[in-house]
Amino acid sequence: MSRTIIIPTERHEPIDLMLELFAYDFMQRSLLAAAMVGGLCSLIGVFVVLRGLAFVGAGTSHAAFAGVTLGYLIGWPPLLLAVAFGVATVWITGWLEEQGRMKLDVSIGILYTATMALAIVFIGLMKTYNAEVYGYLFGSVLSVTGEELFLIGGLAALVLGLLIAFWKELLFIAFDQEMAEASGVPARRLFFLLLTLVALTVVVSLKTVGAILVFAMILIPASTAYQLTHSLTALTLYSVIIGTATALTGVVVSTVWDIPSGPSIVLLATAVFFFSLVISPKRLRISSGRLR
Amino acid sequence: MPMGPRPPIIRFDHASFGFPGVTALEDITLSVEAGEFVGVIGPNGSGKTTLCRAVLGLLAPIKGQLHIFDCACQELRCHHRAKIGYLPQKGVVDRDFPVTVFETVMMGRYGALGLFRRPGAEDRRIALESLALVAMERYKDTALGHLSGGQQQRVFIARALAQQPKVLLLDEPTTGLDLPMQHNVIELIQHLHETLGLTVLLITHDINMIRSRVDRLVLLKTRLHAAGPPADVLKPNILEQVYGKGLVISDKDLVIVEDYHHSH
Repeated sequence: MSRTIIIPTERHEPIDLMLELFAYDFMQRSLLAAAMVGGLCSLIGVFVVLRGLAFVGAGTSHAAFAGVTLGYLIGWPPLLLAVAFGVATVWITGWLEEQGRMKLDVSIGILYTATMALAIVFIGLMKTYNAEVYGYLFGSVLSVTGEELFLIGGLAALVLGLLIAFWKELLFIAFDQEMAEASGVPARRLFFLLLTLVALTVVVSLKTVGAILVFAMILIPASTAYQLTHSLTALTLYSVIIGTATALTGVVVSTVWDIPSGPSIVLLATAVFFFSLVISPKRLRISSGRLR
Repeated sequence: MPMGPRPPIIRFDHASFGFPGVTALEDITLSVEAGEFVGVIGPNGSGKTTLCRAVLGLLAPIKGQLHIFDCACQELRCHHRAKIGYLPQKGVVDRDFPVTVFETVMMGRYGALGLFRRPGAEDRRIALESLALVAMERYKDTALGHLSGGQQQRVFIARALAQQPKVLLLDEPTTGLDLPMQHNVIELIQHLHETLGLTVLLITHDINMIRSRVDRLVLLKTRLHAAGPPADVLKPNILEQVYGKGLVISDKDLVIVEDYHHSH
């Protein structure tokens, strides 16, 4: 993974260092990218957690990475092929489940490993070492370019718009898909839309947190919020706040202490998750119920 | 004044349903008239849930015809489906799913609302009325997972009612409930049938619970074995064809079908 940032070597107070960092263009781009990715992942994560699609996120990110590697190998736009691979993977798994041929977690498990194997083959076929490919694997938010920021922003706006447009139906299919279909909601088509939005979110986030860790950005903030409330509105709000805050803080921590950005974000989110387990009113309710 | 014949709402005409190599229901000919209360009985694997899915328009016949609201099943559109209030078999409700009773009932409005439209004041009024019909309005802000099994069934019935349906389709609504709660739910269904004039299609294993309440019973075991008033269907010789000999004990009015599905 390429690290292009050099922090001034003279001694600074941490607050001065942060203020100084915020003046850099690369830092502003990084923070903007992190905020968009953190917010978007945590929003789609609400439906991923409620509908039980956790493993789909993991599988899709590896499939999208295979698309990136193929893009670099044949000279095509990597993110375009990432979208193609990601969407194809979720559609195939969704179709197999719908046909009753295979459970979702089995088919995604097969495609997850198969696409990762493909990615390794594509990397092996490259004549030279390509640091950018590894940037997509491990995440390199600090090297996000202006063009990439526009692409991330465009895709994020598309996903956000579709989520808002179909919010009530997506909630219904997350709760009970058969009931939604029976009630006259086009649940089947909306389920495939949800899978597509998960795939697009993964692609949007690849450069920022990397293929290995993007899944955590989708899953952890929503799972944390899930511990804290029984209200869907509050769950959504908490998830977005946690996702955005940990992404922004992770970038700052990563820069100040010179550690990789993806792991910084994910480790911070994981710490918040375990804290939520401790203070969860649901856990307290269960404990008090047992005591009685 | 004598009532004239009521129009059929659901009409099976030599209809068969299934998947490649498997026929779940074969050669069914049956009409359900508007305002009827019909009980559907039969052992496990007899095709009751398949019948349910067919009526919901989720399964097209592989042979024959099925018409719902005078519309061929294959042409059934979402707005037709919204006229059928459906209570699925009791699944496990995630206790922590972040949804209140009112939000659950409001989901019943989504099909009729269509895409891109948000629920308005009228939808909220209908949802509250539906909750009142099942006597659950005081729980409207309670988390669904905090209710008992019987209360959750009432909420799901309210969700079906919020669709303002013409037909109420209930798939084993009393499964997993204790005896008083079973009576409670069946009485509620009968009350809704009588007060709202709903056509009710009730799928159940509990013959004695519904025999005095339904207009007709339909006995299934892949084929339609009998359909008619309960007294005509609940005869030992007819039940034995479906449930097997030795399983049926007749004691005057009480018919006991031993716990068939647990013995398999």
